[in-house]
Amino acid sequence: MASALDYTLPVGAHGTGAADRLAPQLLDAAPMLPDPSERCPGVEKHVRMLHGTTTLAFKYQGGVVVAVDSRASAGAYIASQTVKKVIEINPFLLGTMAGGAADCSYWERYLGMRCRMFELDQKKRISVAAASKILSNITHSYKGYGLSMGTMICGWDESGPQIYYVDSDGDRLHHHLFSVGSGSTFAYGVLDTGYRYDLTKDEALALAQRSIFAATYRDAYSGGTVRVYHIDQKGWQRMSETDSMELYFKFRQEKA
Amino acid sequence: MSSIMQYNGAAIIAMAGKDCIAIASDKRYGIRNQTMGCQMKKIFQVGDKTFVGLTGLATDMQTLDQKFRFRSNMYRLREEREMSTEAFANMVTSLLYEHRFGPYFCEPIVAGLGGEDGKSPFLCGMDLLGAQVRTEDFMVGGDCTEALYGLCESMYRPDLGPDELFEVIAQCLLSGVDRDCLAGWGCVVHVLTPEGVTTRDLKGRMD
Amino acid sequence: MSCTEPLRLSAAPKAGVRGPHERRFNPYDHNGGTVLAVAGTNFAIVAGDTRMSSGFNILSRNQSKLLQLTATTVLATGGFRGDVSTLQKLLKAKLVEYEHKHGEPMKVHAIAQMLANTLYGRRFFPYYTWNILSGMDENGVGCVYSYDPVGNYERVRVNVTGSGEPLIQPLLDNQFERQHQQLASKPPPLSVGQDLAEATAIVKDAFYSAGERDIYTGDTMEVCVITKDGVKLESFELNVD
Repeated sequence: MASALDYTLPVGAHGTGAADRLAPQLLDAAPMLPDPSERCPGVEKHVRMLHGTTTLAFKYQGGVVVAVDSRASAGAYIASQTVKKVIEINPFLLGTMAGGAADCSYWERYLGMRCRMFELDQKKRISVAAASKILSNITHSYKGYGLSMGTMICGWDESGPQIYYVDSDGDRLHHHLFSVGSGSTFAYGVLDTGYRYDLTKDEALALAQRSIFAATYRDAYSGGTVRVYHIDQKGWQRMSETDSMELYFKFRQEKA
Repeated sequence: MSSIMQYNGAAIIAMAGKDCIAIASDKRYGIRNQTMGCQMKKIFQVGDKTFVGLTGLATDMQTLDQKFRFRSNMYRLREEREMSTEAFANMVTSLLYEHRFGPYFCEPIVAGLGGEDGKSPFLCGMDLLGAQVRTEDFMVGGDCTEALYGLCESMYRPDLGPDELFEVIAQCLLSGVDRDCLAGWGCVVHVLTPEGVTTRDLKGRMD
Repeated sequence: MSCTEPLRLSAAPKAGVRGPHERRFNPYDHNGGTVLAVAGTNFAIVAGDTRMSSGFNILSRNQSKLLQLTATTVLATGGFRGDVSTLQKLLKAKLVEYEHKHGEPMKVHAIAQMLANTLYGRRFFPYYTWNILSGMDENGVGCVYSYDPVGNYERVRVNVTGSGEPLIQPLLDNQFERQHQQLASKPPPLSVGQDLAEATAIVKDAFYSAGERDIYTGDTMEVCVITKDGVKLESFELNVD
C-alpha cells in the first residue's frame, strides 16, 4: 500500500495513528477509495454539482407528477441553466437528479440498461420497487466512496403509481410525496399547502410548477427552467418547460 | 462559499463615460442561499456628484452608509461646500483603515464627477481595508467580479454618452448576474451627468 | 524576547507535538488555458488558446488544446496536460478500434457518450480535464457538448471552459442567447442565430477580453471551423504578456 501514489485516506482508514482514537464503528464505515476531492484539491469547485437543486414528485389520484428546476452551480458560479434533471430511464420510469450531476446521469443510465435486461429476461416490465432497489444496492455498495446523489425513481407498474427516494447514503424510501435539494424546503411550503390526493390533473401540474417556481425564486442555487412531467398508466409525458422568469411575471400579474 | 463577503451577495459596476458616470447594482438581499428580499439599496448618493456602491456584509454596508452621510454632512456644515468625490474617496479609505484589525466587511466603489470643470469622471474601488484602485474606464465589485470583468472588458468603449453608457452598463450587469447564484433579482442603474441624476430600475431574472 | 525554541527554517512540526503526519505526492497540476465552442446552424466553431502554465510560470506558448477526432469532430480540452494527453491518446485508440469494428467512423453523439463513460470510469481518480466536444450532427447542424471532469455532459449552443470560463461565458450568453436584448430575435433551438463571420468575430473578441484579465489565457488562439466538408484551422495572435 505504501507507494508514492498513496493519497490521503478518510481519517482513520489507515496508517495515521489517528485511527486508534476513533470509535470502532467509524473504523469499519469507510472503504478504502476516497472522495475524488481528497485527491484532486479544488476539483469540487469544478465538478458540476446539483447541490443547489429543487426536484419534487408526488402521487395523486391521476398518477405521478414530477417537476424539477434546471440549474447547475459550481460554488456561487452558475455552470449551467439548462440541465435536464429528469432522466428518462424508459417509457414508464423517470429518475430525478440532485447531488453530483455525473453520478446521477451515469448510474441512472446504467439503471436503464439493467431495467431493459430485466425485461428481456422476464418478459415483463420491471416494478418501480425493483428498479429503485437496483439503484439503492449500487449506492449502498459504494457507500463512503464519495458518490453524491439524491434521486426519486418514479413510475407506473402493475401495482399503480410509485415513488421511491434513493440516495448515496444507501437510503431507499417509499412515500407519496418527496422534494429533494437545497430548494426543497421552499417547494414543500407550497406543495404541502396545496396538496390533496384528489387534485385534478391540471391542478396537480399547476401545483408542481408553482412549487418549483417558489424554490427558484427563494433559493439562490435553484433556477432556470421549470420542467414538469406526468406519469399515468400509459407511461410518462413531458407536460411543460417554462422559463422561471416568465413564470415570475405571470404569477405577479395574477396577484395584482 | 462560507466567506463572509458572500453571506449576503451583491454585484456592482461603475463606468465612466464622456462627462458622465454610471453606477449600477443588483437588488437582492439574501442570507446565504435564501433570498429575503429584492428591493435592497446598495448604492448610496453622498452629495450632488458622488455615489458610493457597497458590496459585502449587509449590516456593515448600512453602518458605513450612515457614517459616510454623517461625515459628508459635517463637512458641508463646516466648510459650506460639497465634498469633492476624490476627497470623499480618501475619507472612505481612512475610515476603513481606522478599523485595520477589526474591519468592516465591505468593499466600496466610489464614482462621481469632479475635476476643475466638475465634469471629469472619477472612479475608485477599494478593498475592505481601504486600499484604493483608481481606474479610467470601469470598476466592478461583488461576488461575481470575474463575470463582470469579462463583460465590461469586451463591451466597454471610452467616451460614451449617458444613454449609450446606460445601455452598456445595463447589459453588463444583467448578463453578469445571470451567471451568479448570489446576485440578481432585478437591478438599478444611476447615470450621473453635470445636469443631474437619472435612475432606472431594470427587469432582471428572478431566479 | 526569550528564545524558548530553536530557530527553524522550515515548517517542520513543533517538537513535542505529535499529530497525524504524512508525505504525499500530488498527482495533479493545473496548466490553465481556455477553450470554447459555438454551434451554428450549419457550422461549429471550436477555439482554444495555446498557453500552458504552471503556477505563475509559462511552460509553453504554443501547446494546442484542440484535437481533431474524426473528419467533422474536434475535442477541445483544458486542465492538467498529463491527463489531457492520456485522455486524447485513449480516445484516439478507441476511435480506431470502433472504425475497424464497425467499418465507419463514430458519429458525434456516440463519441459524446463514449467520452462521458471514459471520464466517469475514472470517477474516483478523475482526469483533471475540462472538455468540449464539437462537430456536426446527423441533420448537418453544428453541435457542442459540454462536460465536467467526471463526465456529466449536455448538448448546448455555446460553451466555454477552463481558466477563462467565468469571464467569457456571460459574454457568450449575452451575445448568443440574447436574454436581455428584448428587441433581438431568439436563437434557434439547437444552435446560435449568427452566421459564421459574426460568430467568429464574437469568439475572437471574447478571447481578447479574457486575455486582458486572465493570466492563464494568452499567446495564440487557434480557431477551428467545422462544416460538413471538414475542419479548417486558423491562428490569431493574443497578448503575450
